[in-house]
Amino acid sequence: MYKIEFLSRTVNKKAGTKGGGNVIEERKKSRKEEAEEVKEILGVVSQEVPALIKGIVGAVFSEEAGKDMGRAAAAFYRELKEGGMPEETAVRMTENYVGVFTSLGNVLKGAVGKGKIGELAKEDIEEEVAKRVRLKIAEKTGERTEES
Amino acid sequence: MVKAKTVIIAAFSIVSLTSTLLLIWLSLGWKVRKARKAFERELIKQGMSKEDAQRLSEFYKTLKDQITSTVMSSFREQ
Repeated sequence: MYKIEFLSRTVNKKAGTKGGGNVIEERKKSRKEEAEEVKEILGVVSQEVPALIKGIVGAVFSEEAGKDMGRAAAAFYRELKEGGMPEETAVRMTENYVGVFTSLGNVLKGAVGKGKIGELAKEDIEEEVAKRVRLKIAEKTGERTEES
Repeated sequence: MVKAKTVIIAAFSIVSLTSTLLLIWLSLGWKVRKARKAFERELIKQGMSKEDAQRLSEFYKTLKDQITSTVMSSFREQ
């Protein structure tokens, strides 16, 4: 009996609570909350991610988008031809013009790939803030020396 | 009981997400083909040769590969 009481006191001391059952209950509660959170996150992700990818795919890879892009490239080609450009050069220039769309994929890759753009921006902001703080400190210390 | 329900819902979300992504990936080839054909048609209408139009529409394949690899790599990182 004494042993049980001693053990109970040690558990309560470690947990910092009055009853030993509270620790287990709290753990159960936190696990339940975590599971609920995971469930909610998965629910949102399974709805939002496909919609986002579908949007990107639909904007670039659809018959209508292809027609529009073709119209733009064809108008460019026609203008060059009407301007008296030789056939070969006009085709090559149109190829370069169309190649701009391919670079969009590179931009996307750079932005999503490793978050380089975000990191660079963050570094720039940090540097700018540090610079301004240093300037302010220099101004303040300059004022104090002038006053004294 | 609540735990089992949570696990079932989470598993269902994962299965639904995977199947939707698979469906998008499978239909992508068909969509690229249609867009490419529409693009070529517009160029041929303006007097460009079929070979040149086909060469120009190659960028669709490049773009598709780039987007696919971007999405795949972002999933692999996670």
